[in-house]
Parts: sequence; C-alpha cells; structure tokens
Amino acid sequence: MKRRQFNQALAAAGIAAGLAPFGIVRAQSQKLKVGVLLPRSGVQALIGQSCQKGADLAPAVIRQVLGVDIELMNADTESNADTARTRAERLIQEGAHVLVGAFDSGHTAAIAQVAEQRGIPHIINVAAAPQITEQGYKFVFRNFPTAIDLTRNGLALMGEIFRTTNTVPRSAVFMHVNDTFGQAMAKGVGAMLPHLDFLPFKVLDTIAYDPAAKDLTVEVSKAKATNADFLMLVCRLNDAIILRREMAKQRWNPMGIISPGSPGLYEEQYTKALGPLAEYAICNTVWFNPKSEMTKTVGAAFRQQNPKDMLDFHGTNVGYTFDAIMIAADAFRRARTTDPKALADAIRQTDIPVSRRMSLGGPIRFNPKGQVEGNLSAAIQNLKGRPTVTLPAEYAEAKVVFPSPGYKKT
Amino acid sequence: MNRRAQTLLALLALALLVLPAFASNYVMSVATLILFFAFTGQAWNVMMGFAGQLSLGHSLYVGVGAYTAAGLFFHYGLGPWAGLWLAILLCVLLGAAIGFLAFRFGISGVYFALLTIAFAEFTRIGFDHIDWLGGPGGLFIKVAQRDQIDLLNFRGPPAMYYYAMLALAAGALALCAWLLRSRAGYYWQAIREDEEAAQALGINTFRWKMLAVILSAAMTAVSGVFFAFYYNNLFPEQIFHISRSIEIILGPIIGGIGTLFGPILGAAVLTLLADGITELMSAFGIEIPGVKQVFYGIVLLVVIMFLPNGIWPTLARRLGIARQR
Repeated sequence: MKRRQFNQALAAAGIAAGLAPFGIVRAQSQKLKVGVLLPRSGVQALIGQSCQKGADLAPAVIRQVLGVDIELMNADTESNADTARTRAERLIQEGAHVLVGAFDSGHTAAIAQVAEQRGIPHIINVAAAPQITEQGYKFVFRNFPTAIDLTRNGLALMGEIFRTTNTVPRSAVFMHVNDTFGQAMAKGVGAMLPHLDFLPFKVLDTIAYDPAAKDLTVEVSKAKATNADFLMLVCRLNDAIILRREMAKQRWNPMGIISPGSPGLYEEQYTKALGPLAEYAICNTVWFNPKSEMTKTVGAAFRQQNPKDMLDFHGTNVGYTFDAIMIAADAFRRARTTDPKALADAIRQTDIPVSRRMSLGGPIRFNPKGQVEGNLSAAIQNLKGRPTVTLPAEYAEAKVVFPSPGYKKT
Repeated sequence: MNRRAQTLLALLALALLVLPAFASNYVMSVATLILFFAFTGQAWNVMMGFAGQLSLGHSLYVGVGAYTAAGLFFHYGLGPWAGLWLAILLCVLLGAAIGFLAFRFGISGVYFALLTIAFAEFTRIGFDHIDWLGGPGGLFIKVAQRDQIDLLNFRGPPAMYYYAMLALAAGALALCAWLLRSRAGYYWQAIREDEEAAQALGINTFRWKMLAVILSAAMTAVSGVFFAFYYNNLFPEQIFHISRSIEIILGPIIGGIGTLFGPILGAAVLTLLADGITELMSAFGIEIPGVKQVFYGIVLLVVIMFLPNGIWPTLARRLGIARQR
C-alpha cells in the first residue's frame, strides 16, 4: 500500500469512526448481538482477558449446543467506570441486543444503569456487590453469588472440610490483605463467624497486611506465635506467594491454609512460583462444575483455542462469562426475536439445567430481582500442581487433604 | 476578548446547546464526560493554574462531595440541592485544613502535592471503614425512572445531566474569567510567578493561597455531587483513587495550565482522543487490549514535547485570538 492510499484509508476509517456515533443505521442481522464488556486492559486486565476467553469460545459452542447464532461485540472497559459507561452506550448504539459483563462491581453498576435506561438486557457475568440487584432494575440479571453469599458459602465449606476429614481444629489465625477487598472480606467474616456455631474454631488473632508488601516476616512470626491450628487467609497473588515462602522459611506448618474466598491460592502463578509449597492450600470459592457436560464441551473448545493454557486456571472466569452468554442465547432461542423487552421477559423465564451450565450451582433461574440463587462455591485444593475440586462431595474430583501431610503440632 | 474570539465562543455555545437534538446517547455520554472533566479541571486550575499550588489529591473533594450528597439522599431522602451545600461546606473545611497546615508551616511545591495525596489517601482508607456510607462495598443510590425530569431530586434523562454539566462548565468559565481580572486573580498570578516577590510587594500570600484552595475545593465538591447523582454508585477505591486525581489534572495540563480555555480544550482532546483511538482501532479491526493506551501515551508525549505550554496558547495564536494567560 502506497503512502497516499494508506492516508486515504486512514482518513476514511477516521471519518467512519467519527460519523458512526451520530446514528448511522446499520443493517439488522438475524444473529443475536451480544455486547461483551470486560476490563481487558488496566489493573484488572489479567482477569478481564481470562473472562474474554469464555466469551470468545461461546459462539461456536452455543451454535453447536443450541443452534443459535450469536455475534460478539467486544468492548474494553479499561478497568474504568467512566469508560464502562460510554462503551455500554456505544455498544447499544451499534446494535447490541444484550450486554454481558463486566467483572468489577463499580463498572457493572455503571453499565447496569445504562442498560436499564435504554431498556437493553444486561446479564452480569461476575460482580458481587449485593446492591446491584436490589435497585429494582427490570433489565439487569445476575448469575453470580453476592458478596454475602460468597462469604457464607466459603465459611460453610470450612465446616464441611472438617466434617469430611474428621478434624476439629480449635483455633485459627486470620490473616488478610488490607486493601478494599480484604477489608470487606474481613468485615464479612468477622460478622458471620460468631453466628456459625458449627465451626469448631476460635480466631486467636487477626493480622492485616499490605498486599504490596515485599516482606512478611513480622506478620508470619506473629501468626506463628499464636500457635493456631490453621491459617485462615484472604490474600491476593503476590502476597500469597511471599507469605507461603515465609512460612516455609520459619518452618511453620499449621494444619493447613484455608481461604474463605479470595484469589491467589488457586492461580497458575502461585503454583508455578511455589512448586511443592503450593500443594494442599485450600480456597473456598466460586468455581466451574468439573462434572457438567457443558464443562466438557467448553473444555474441548478451550483447549482448541488456547492450546498453551489450562482451563483449570481460568475456570471461574470462563465458566461464568460463558454461562452469561448462554443465558442470552437461550432467551433468544425461546423469544425468537431480538426485541429487548421480549428478550428480558425470556431471560426472566430462564430455566437452564445443571448439565447446560458450566459454573457450579443448581439450575439457572432468576428470582424477581433478577438474581440467580443457589450458585455454589467449591473447596479448591492444589493437588499435584492443579487446583482440584474437593468439595462439595458430588462435584469432587479428589478427596480433600486436611491436615496437610507436613503438619506438625508446635 | 476580540470579536473573532467572541464569534467562536458564541458558535461553540450554540453547538453545545443544540447538541442533544442531534446526538445519540453515546455522544451525549461522551459530551457529559468532557464537560465534567472540563469543570473539574477548571476547579483544579484555580489552585494550580492561577495560584501555582500543585494539588495531586483533588479526588478528595470529588469523593467527599459525592459521598456527602449521596449519603444524605440515601439515608434521609434529602435531595442533592440540600446535600450540595453541606458537601461544599465539608470540602471547604477540608481544603482550609490542608491549606492551613501547608501554608502556615511553609510547605510548598512537591511537599504540598504530597500532602494533598496523603489527605486523599487516608480519606479513602477512612471511607472504607464507614459502614454508614457502605464501606468498601459501595454506596448505591436508588435509581428511579428516568423518563421524567425531576429537578428536585436531580433525576432525569441523559440530556438533563448534559445540560446541568454544561451550565456548570459555563458558570465555571465565567467565574474564572471574572476571577482572573479581579484583584484575586492578579494576586494569584503574582504568587504563582514569584511568591517571595509578591510577599515583598505586600500581598498576604497566606490569605490569597487559602482563598484559591477553598474556592477550588468548593467547585470540586459540586462536581462530586454531580458525579454521585450521575453514576448513582460510589466506591471509595474508585472515587478517591489517585488515578482520578490524575484524570482531573490531565485536561488542564494538556490544554494549557493557567488559561481559561485550557481545561475545556484539554478535557475535550483527551476524551475524544481516547474514544477516537478506540473507534479507529475498531474500524481497522484491531482488538489487542492495551494498544489504545500505548497510542494514547504516545500522543500525550508528543503534545507535551512539542506544546509544553499546552494546546490552547498555540491554538489561540493560530486562531488569532488574544492569549488568555
């Protein structure tokens, strides 16, 4: 291409891009256009891109399973609420029939408002702020547990771990990151624990630490000094690696590390960085159903599209994003129209069986507020270098190991 | 302002007034965002551009303003017009506290900037622990039906928010134009250029710097109230974050610090550039996350390298408009 041609093409594209917002009508297709909003750049890029993998494989899988044609319209929220809002407006203007997204609660709330205002269904893939579905919205739907449910499920699974393994730890030391997420989790755990009398342990000490800390020697020695039976941990990735290394250095081998629900422990980098030290850490969190038919189908598509990646490390993000698009496609199949109101009505009537969903939980049915109840968490334990579902028993791929083999009562 | 400038300003005002009649909701949301950053940038410009006091923590006033009005609305059903005054009062007190601490004890330059960051940061952390305002889980204002304009509760369609922001931006422009020609404006500029010389001339620098900080804080509080009722959800992590402060100051820096139209032009250029690059990428079918930010960064670098005083002074000269510094 000569420079003049390139310049002309650039100018034409610029004009097209510039004029597009002023309402140039585009041809209406028979496909369902799904606007996918995810933070694919910025601070949440890693997770946004992980979710995107679930969206990317959805059209082919859904065509195969439901015989429905969908077209993805991807938009990057750039980990910014302002951008999330304008991108949602843009997608609707470009003809999106349904919006899916957007991982972060703040961004999701911004998108939900636009969707509600414009009467376009918005299916939330991941976002836990309970208030989003408490606003009385008619076009906003969420197939993801709220923060309260996440914490409750996480703590309940702890009880199940102890029951299954016939162990009765009497004490725990609670360490958590002191960022917004960590504080919220700590508050939730602190509020719920006293009411859960089936949990046999007492929290001896709560230690907050900076997720950006480069050294956790003091915090770990303090935790070790409590002589607690196990470590309850709410962490991020890097701090989890530093903390585990420090535990090994200080030869602190409690019964185990259990997270009531946080990232870090089940992530690929954690396993790669720590090798054998990563083993046996448990995280009770939302996950994909390893035994569902849909997981097998999506898993095959995932391996084809991402030969170097393991689904295990993207399972939650892929699962919930895929399911959100599946809900949209299922509604489109039943409504037989792309009319947003009819689609919203069809979404309200959703009844997707467990075999047709990838994420862990019962059938997908929305309550009057647009919230799916009955989404489950799983106890994910690092076993032989991969995060493995160990509980609930009916979804387990392996038996939970607790206490860890290296446990020494100090 | 010469006749050409007046004509251009009138044309711009007319274009902005009729925009909702022609623009899509997407364009309206982008335009509202531009006006929001233009207004907030103008507020920051009073402090830095006029009086030479660098604040890197203006998100503090946006956040406190937003949370005050939203909290009153959420818990007591008090409309934003009542909350606005309390928001302004709180931000004025905060600004006065920061200003007093800094100017009374001779903290200036980068140390003053650090102080503003520190205030914004500890306020963010503090708000994470205020359960009454939702803590880290966020404060959500009930979103009501948007078809009808409800000015009392500041609820309505996108055009209402657009016009509200347009009025605020126009008001801020008029206020700043008046301030620049007032005694305060001349004193501020004297302080900005050489504080010691200004003091030697008998200017009470403490008093006038305090006035700049207080005025800037009050104006930013208003933008916070708008933010709360436009977005309807607030999270300490997002609203008080330093990245929001940077967003606020980028417009005036790119447009031209200390100029009247710099913050407006800067906000327009940055927002349109960001969205334009996205559109261009999409037109070329490029879908690589982060590419936009790279282009965006390069363009900003070029602007700063070749137009170190910002775009507006050069543009004003090219357009034959008198310099506004």
